[in-house]
Amino acid sequence: MTAIVESVDLKRHYPMGHSMVRALDGVSFTIQAGEFVGLLGTSGSGKSTLLNLIAGLDRPTSGTLKIFDQQLDQMSREALSQHRRKNVGMIFQSFNLIPTMTAFENVTLPMMFSGVPRPERERRGVELFESVGLRDRQLHRPAELSGGEQQRVAIARALANSPAVLLADEPTGNLDSMTAREILEILKQLNEREGKTILWVTHDTEMASKYIQRSIRLRDGKIADNGISSSSPSGGIA
Amino acid sequence: MIFPDVFQLSLRNLREAKLRTSLTTLGVSIGIASLVGMVSLGVGLQELTVGQFKKSGLFDTITVFSAGQGFGRNARARGARRNSTASTNDPARPEKPPEPLDDKAIEKIQALPNVKEVYPNLRMPVEVKYENFSEFVTAVGVPLSSRGEGVFQKITYGSFLKNETEEACMLSLDFVHNMTSEDPKNLVGKEITLSYATAADLAGAVMGGSLGQMTIQRTEKKYSIVGIVEREPGPNFGGGFFSSIMVPLKKIQEAGFQDFTNPQAFLRGLSNKPSYSAVTVKVKHLQDTEDVEKKVKDLGFNAFSINDALQGAKKAFIILDILLGLVGSIALAVASLGIVNTMVMSILERTREIGVMKAIGAGDGDIRKIFFVEASLIGVLGGAIGVVLGWTVDKIINFGANIYIQRQGGFPAQMFFTPWWLVAGGIGFSILVSLIAGSYPASRAARVDPIKALRHD
Repeated sequence: MTAIVESVDLKRHYPMGHSMVRALDGVSFTIQAGEFVGLLGTSGSGKSTLLNLIAGLDRPTSGTLKIFDQQLDQMSREALSQHRRKNVGMIFQSFNLIPTMTAFENVTLPMMFSGVPRPERERRGVELFESVGLRDRQLHRPAELSGGEQQRVAIARALANSPAVLLADEPTGNLDSMTAREILEILKQLNEREGKTILWVTHDTEMASKYIQRSIRLRDGKIADNGISSSSPSGGIA
Repeated sequence: MIFPDVFQLSLRNLREAKLRTSLTTLGVSIGIASLVGMVSLGVGLQELTVGQFKKSGLFDTITVFSAGQGFGRNARARGARRNSTASTNDPARPEKPPEPLDDKAIEKIQALPNVKEVYPNLRMPVEVKYENFSEFVTAVGVPLSSRGEGVFQKITYGSFLKNETEEACMLSLDFVHNMTSEDPKNLVGKEITLSYATAADLAGAVMGGSLGQMTIQRTEKKYSIVGIVEREPGPNFGGGFFSSIMVPLKKIQEAGFQDFTNPQAFLRGLSNKPSYSAVTVKVKHLQDTEDVEKKVKDLGFNAFSINDALQGAKKAFIILDILLGLVGSIALAVASLGIVNTMVMSILERTREIGVMKAIGAGDGDIRKIFFVEASLIGVLGGAIGVVLGWTVDKIINFGANIYIQRQGGFPAQMFFTPWWLVAGGIGFSILVSLIAGSYPASRAARVDPIKALRHD
């Protein structure tokens, strides 16, 4: 297995009032290609900060962060946006679909940013809706969709540019448990069938144990547990 | 990101805030309308004035004077001529005697490139008799080639001279009113009697120093009235052909008159070779005028064209246009603040959306482009509507003003003129202003921090 994300002594500090918040305080870990990793921890433990760094939305204060052997901490703003376009797909707790666009437009939007011509976008859009099990809601606006449907649209959007890594920030936080399981099943299938590397931020340890292969547990900006799970893909660590 | 997609996203954003977009666009429209309206007034007034120049004068015409006459060097040149022998010895003033403006000079000018024709300006004193009316006036010789030009663009009654040999004349409307109470319409085709002395007779009298006492042999001829010309109000430049009575140039030449208005030349003309005080040169193309004028001057003559007079007027109008443009721009400046306001509001509203777009791969440049295109769309639309609005308001004001002017007994006039360059310029300027107004909001949008924008609220 090859390392897809590699972090060495990663720090992210930011000032708040007169004090310095150490959101991440020396984090080192490696994620292999094809892994389904749970990023666990309580609220404020730094897991979202770490996800944002990997997504290239934020820059570390110090330390190195490599993705596909590219050093994110040294990239230009433009290179970072290209990284977000090509390498990673983001899924959010609150879906973050653009309310004035239809589901289909939302899904094809990332391809606009990467300059895919319209016919190709539309072909790929249909394909993406199939892959998340939504066929007939393409022309609805997000407000007309249920939470589960919105999250499926968001997953389809994250997959639009075929990234190797999916970054999911509490993707089931706003969903009931049944819908949450459906969404996690989709992620699991993407991991197993298409070999997507998935980094799932959650505080629900119990639920995580049913899907993830490995967990990274953060506490106060430091790694508390970088455990390797059992090799069985569906096996838990509970 | 390819342009059609940027365009599509910008258009969608504008559609999402229809009221705000239309109000902002309306603001820009009013700004452009006031600018276009004001500049149209400046251009219109210029056209009105220049148009009158054009009517009265001839742009392809140069009037040539002997260097000793006409404008400028008048006195000095004459002085030089008087002691021509002395001045050749004076190294400080190596001035040659001025070239005489005679038939040889006409040939020389005729030989210049781009010269269409050259003819002398001739006048002669005549006594006009019609029924009980009798008056001394100056008849002017009109070349047939000036048909349809200058004052002869419109012949009020009748027509232009048909040929050179016919004993026919045209009269000015004022003179006709002076001459008779008959309807000028009915006068066309009737005959008047012209009584004049030939040049030789007149000269003899002048030389005798007793013009008043001597009886001069006169020739009387019947001329038929072929046309009556009305001169429109405005400056009279180069419209040298306009007079109370206008006869074919050939007729005056036959009478032996070279130039009556300048007795010196006139007398000289009798004694030796004929010379003229002024000669009219017509160029082949309008744009040759300046060049030919310069070449004529190089030949040693004084020359004047209507372009000279127009240059000054044009400069004055440029200043007027700038002032009117500045006044008109005030509304546009206010409108551009409206664009900034609208765009900043829109960015505040869409901060989260911008954050999402960045998270899924939009670069700073993409975001900037979307907002830039949005601003320029407001500019294009506002500019186009503004031009139409300005034009319409101009028409309404012009219409209203003309009603008032006519009531006051004036002539209706087109005070506003919107040339195509103003239409294109108005829209172009609108886009430019929108882009400048949009540049701050666009870069502000590009700088939105996606993490702050996406923070759960």
